[in-house]
Amino acid sequence: MLNINKNLEGEKLTIALEGRLDTVTAPELEAELKDSLEPVNELVLDMKDLEYISSAGLRVLLTAQKNMNQKGSMKLINVNETVMEIFDVTGFVDILTIA
Amino acid sequence: MADNGTLTIALKGRIDSGNAADIEKEIQDQLVSADVKSLILDAEDLEYISSAGLRVILRLRKKYPDLKIINVCSEVYEIFDMTGFTQMMKVEKAYKVVSVEGCEEIGRGANGTIYRVDKDNVVKVYNNADALEDIEHERQVARLALILGIPTAISYDVVKVGNSYGSVFEFLNAKSFAKILADEPDKFEWCVEEYVDMLKKIHSTEVPKGKLPSIKAEFVERAARLRGHLPDEYEDKLVKLINDVPEVDNMIHGDYHTKNLELQDDEVLLIDMDTLAVGHPIFELGSIFNAFSGFFEVDTNGIESFQGFSAETGHRFWRRTLELYLGTKNDEAIREVEDKARIVGYCRLLARSVKRGLNLEGQGKEEYEVWKQHLIELLDRTDTLTFEVQNDAGSDSPNELDIEATTDNLPKVLEFIDKHLEAAGCPIKTQMQIDVAAEEIFVNIAHYAYKPDKGMAKVRVEVGDDPLSVSITFIDHGVQYDPLAREDPDVTLSAEDRQIGGLGIFLVKNTMDDISYQYVNGSNILTLKKNL
Repeated sequence: MLNINKNLEGEKLTIALEGRLDTVTAPELEAELKDSLEPVNELVLDMKDLEYISSAGLRVLLTAQKNMNQKGSMKLINVNETVMEIFDVTGFVDILTIA
Repeated sequence: MADNGTLTIALKGRIDSGNAADIEKEIQDQLVSADVKSLILDAEDLEYISSAGLRVILRLRKKYPDLKIINVCSEVYEIFDMTGFTQMMKVEKAYKVVSVEGCEEIGRGANGTIYRVDKDNVVKVYNNADALEDIEHERQVARLALILGIPTAISYDVVKVGNSYGSVFEFLNAKSFAKILADEPDKFEWCVEEYVDMLKKIHSTEVPKGKLPSIKAEFVERAARLRGHLPDEYEDKLVKLINDVPEVDNMIHGDYHTKNLELQDDEVLLIDMDTLAVGHPIFELGSIFNAFSGFFEVDTNGIESFQGFSAETGHRFWRRTLELYLGTKNDEAIREVEDKARIVGYCRLLARSVKRGLNLEGQGKEEYEVWKQHLIELLDRTDTLTFEVQNDAGSDSPNELDIEATTDNLPKVLEFIDKHLEAAGCPIKTQMQIDVAAEEIFVNIAHYAYKPDKGMAKVRVEVGDDPLSVSITFIDHGVQYDPLAREDPDVTLSAEDRQIGGLGIFLVKNTMDDISYQYVNGSNILTLKKNL
């Protein structure tokens, strides 16, 4: 289960993720980003309530990062320790901007 | 000639109007002198019978309604058939005579030797000359097992071989598990898994009442035979332990070792069905213990000449069988069940020694003493022979999940794994790493193994102690694929240069303590191990 809560203020989009970002739910986020990123130049992903991320979730983050690199910035906030561990092992800590 | 009231009379040559009266008188004379309850006419040397002869038989049948004619050659059988006699009474054709002289011997078991007689057929020749009853019994129980869903080979004919009898089977280009273990040691794990799968299948098969003998009854008798050989209080305890095992209607093979399981193409077949019974699985485990260990405790080289693999392999096989059968790697839990199995095993071995007579010398004497010593020690610390039976069919045992490999089923797989991880007290962080790894492997199977079709995957969770660890095994029967062979992504690259793929398996490699992959007989077997 993944809940995606969006908040668009001008060109800044904040998405709060709640639940699990895995093979089953990652396509939902991917579709959501595809639809919403057009007017956005600042993307913030609030990971406070994200309990789980697998490689499928990482791939969506990587695609989003590549996309945002073209036109602005992407930032992750409130990353918990277990998710951070995954970013660590995969080298994602160096790719993503984690506040 | 009369044996429990049955008299067998041989009919010879030609019986027609010329000699029928004489022959009838001859037969009557034999019947008068003996207290005959039923009559068998042996027609082995009967060449011809006319209506005069048939009338003699009809008159005899009036007096002996269950009269039976046996060993009838095909010419004479035709006469009996045309005249309606085969409908009226039991007329058995003569067994075809087969010679095994010069035939290749392809197997030898406790009760017979198997020869290949031609391209398509093998004959199992029984050691015992009056094995007909045994043969019929084995054919009957094999048929029963097949109907109940156990894959086995069934003999389609019974033949006479010299002074004995044989069962004819279709020739199977099969390899016994014993031989696979001896020739291909890297298939060890696959062999144990198939072996235990079949064992669970047998034990989860319910048998209609009265179709098979009770194995418990045999053990009650065996235990009684040890009276005088064990100190009385131990003998009493053994008898009580066996009496206390509940009667169960589930199938037991009775001689379940690696020579009686065969691989034919991709199918695993169970053979040697004559010991089939019903009962509690502890009796089976006892005989399995004997086959891999108990039997060879003194004669340590014996297993090599019987199974073809080393004593060490035998011990490992037995231990791993228990782990998989019981669904645990906990030493204490395994030892407990092993103790019970050994009690059953030694009881059987000692009863066998006693039956063979106790003029034991050398090895026989030593075995008797060793087994007795073990049995006494075990009886001291064991109070019941029963244990938790995970008696659900196939791999429904709680540490295994059989599930269609689709991404939709991922939540079910992770839920199943998490349930076990939580029970093992796994920290949340580790649990997540294991989930991420499990997801990667399962999704790989779902996406690629059976493409474009769908197929099943098996997920097994095992928790081990020393050190506390968890192993998760994924098995599928799809295309051969070793995810470990994939090259690692360069994790130092920037987002632009990073590739999307290959990340998952990299994660798996870097978060798990051990990963192994095997492709055995059409199965991809991947095991993740994580220390807790």
